[in-house]
Amino acid sequence: MKIDRIESREQLDQLAKEFRFIVTDIMCRAGGGHIGGSLSLVEIIITLYFRIMNVKPDDPRWEDRDRFILSKGHAGPTLYTALAYRGYFPKELLLTLNANGTKLPSHVDQVITPGVDQTAGSLGQGLSCANGIALANKLQKKTNNVFCVVGDGESQEGQIWEAAMFAAHHKLDNLVAITDYNKMQIDAEVEKIVSLEPVVDKWRSFGWEVFEVDGHDWDEIYDTIQKAIAVKGKPAMIVAHTVKAKGNVCYENRIECHFISIPDEDERKRVIGGVCTEGDEEPFHFNWTEGK
Amino acid sequence: MKLHEKELRAVYTDTLIELMTENSNVVCLEADLGKSSGTVPRVWEAFPDRFFDVGVAEANMIGISAGLANEGMVPFCATFTPFATRRAYDQITISIAYAENPVKIVGTAPGITTAKNGATHMCFQDLAIMRAMPNMRVYCPADVYELRSMVKYMAASKKPEYMQLIREIHSPLFDEDYEFDPHKARVLDQGSDVTVVTTGLTSQFAREAVAMLKQEDIHAEHIHYPSVKPFDVETLLKSVKKTNAVVTAENQNVIGGLGGAVCEVLAENYPVKVKRLGARDRFGEVGDVPYLSETLGFSAKDIAAACRAMQASR
Repeated sequence: MKIDRIESREQLDQLAKEFRFIVTDIMCRAGGGHIGGSLSLVEIIITLYFRIMNVKPDDPRWEDRDRFILSKGHAGPTLYTALAYRGYFPKELLLTLNANGTKLPSHVDQVITPGVDQTAGSLGQGLSCANGIALANKLQKKTNNVFCVVGDGESQEGQIWEAAMFAAHHKLDNLVAITDYNKMQIDAEVEKIVSLEPVVDKWRSFGWEVFEVDGHDWDEIYDTIQKAIAVKGKPAMIVAHTVKAKGNVCYENRIECHFISIPDEDERKRVIGGVCTEGDEEPFHFNWTEGK
Repeated sequence: MKLHEKELRAVYTDTLIELMTENSNVVCLEADLGKSSGTVPRVWEAFPDRFFDVGVAEANMIGISAGLANEGMVPFCATFTPFATRRAYDQITISIAYAENPVKIVGTAPGITTAKNGATHMCFQDLAIMRAMPNMRVYCPADVYELRSMVKYMAASKKPEYMQLIREIHSPLFDEDYEFDPHKARVLDQGSDVTVVTTGLTSQFAREAVAMLKQEDIHAEHIHYPSVKPFDVETLLKSVKKTNAVVTAENQNVIGGLGGAVCEVLAENYPVKVKRLGARDRFGEVGDVPYLSETLGFSAKDIAAACRAMQASR
C-alpha cells in the first residue's frame, strides 16, 4: 500500500514501528548495516516525506519538488523505506539492500535509486551540494524547499563549516538543514572524540537561524520544520536531539550500534527481537508482498 | 587585436561571457583566484547574479558546483590546478564524477606555468589523477582558438570535465575555424621518423623541436592531444605504425599522465619504444618557464634531443 500523507499520531507511531522493523530486518538479511544512524532518523524522515515535502513519486525528478539531501548517506535504509512507502519503487526492492547488483546501496546514490536527489556517503559533502541545489533553485525562481540532514560526527568535517558560511552569506532561506545529534560516532561518543559543543551557538554565530528539537517527538519536529521553512533571509538549522539506534533495544544508545554485523541466524533473531513487541516472535508479522 | 594576441585567460573570460549571455544556465564560480583566471572583475561585473566567489574553500566550491549541475545549471569553477584537483579530489570523485553531475572544472596555471609560485602551487599530477577518475574527461588546450572551442563544447556537454588553463599569451597553432572534438587528436606536423605526442604547453614546445629536427633531416610526426581522456587511439596507432618510435612530452610528472596514456595504448596494441619527457617523479621549484622546462627536461631542446636519440638507436 502506497501512503501519501499522514496526520494521526496513531498512524505515525505505527509507521515508525514498521520502519524500525523493516530497517532492522533488511539490514539483518544483508548481513549487517548502519543501524544506529538509520534508526535515529526515523521520525525526522517520516515527518519530511509524509507530512512536509511536496514530491511526486511517479515523477522523481519533478522540477518543482522539494529536495532532500541525506548528507550522512549511510542512513540510506531509512530513506529507502520512506521512498518505498511513498511509492517510488515496490517495497520488495527493500529486500535487495546491498545485494549484488542492487539499486539500494548502503550509501545513497542519485544515479541508481529513484527518489534520491543527491549522492552522498563520503561525509561532509552533502551540505555543499545542498547549497548548490538551493542556489540553483533560487536562480530558477522556484519556491520549493531544500532539506539536508547532516550527522553529528560528520560535522567534524571542515567542509560543513565552509558550507555553513556560504549558505548564510548568500541568504539561502530555501535551505533547512537538520543535525541528527545522536551524540555518537563510530569510535566513541562525540564528546569524547571532538566535541561539537556549543553546537547551537556555533550555527547561530555562523549566521543561521537555529532551532532545537527532540528528534523523536512528532509535534516538535513538524512544528519546528514549519518554523524553519518560514525563516526569511537566512538558512535554518534544526539541531535534533536523537537517540542512536532508537527503538531497537539490542543496540539503542550503545556505542557499538553505528554498524552491526549479523554473522548467523541466532544473531539475526536476537537483533530482530530488538524491535519486537514483548511476546512477539516476529513483530507485526510484516507481509513483504503487501506492497506489490 | 587578433584573438591569439590575447592571453588565454582573457579568452576564457570572453568565452564565458559569451556563453552566459546566450544561456542563463551557465554560472561561474571561483575560490578567490578569479583575478588569476581572468573572471574577476569582468564576469563578476557582467553577471553579478551568476558569479559566485566562494572564498578560499575549494571543497565547498566543488560541492556547490555539483548541486548546481544536479539542477541543470552549467557551472564552470576555476582555481589553481593543485587546488582544483588534488585538494578536492574526493569531493570531485563522489559529488561530481560518481554522481554524474556535469560540472566543468578549470585548473589554472598548470605545472611550470605557475612559475614563481613554486613547488607548492606547481601541480604535476592533475592529468594522472583526473584521468584515473571514472566518468571524468581531461582536456589541455594549446592555444586560444582551441580553448575557445573547448569551453563552448564543455558548456554543451553533459559530462563532468576538467580543463587545464594556461593563463599567458601563446603562439597560435590553429585558426578561427578550429572545432574541438575530444575524440580527435591533431597531427600538427607529418613525418615518418618518430612520433612526438604532446598536450597543452608542450605542444608549443614541440613545434619548435620539430622545426629544429627538420633542419637535420629528421622528420617527426607531431600529434597534439587536446583531450587526454577520452584518448584518440586510432591517430596514435596510425602514426606509430609508420614511425615505430615515440617521444611524449608533458608539463607533468612522467607517471600516469599523457606519457602513461600513450604507453598503455601502445603496450596493449602495438608495442614500440617510448621515451617519456616530463618531471621525473620530482616536485617543482620556483623559476621561470624556460628555466623550469630545461631543468625538468621537457623543453623544446629536450624533445629534439630525445627524437635524435630515438633515431640514432634504430
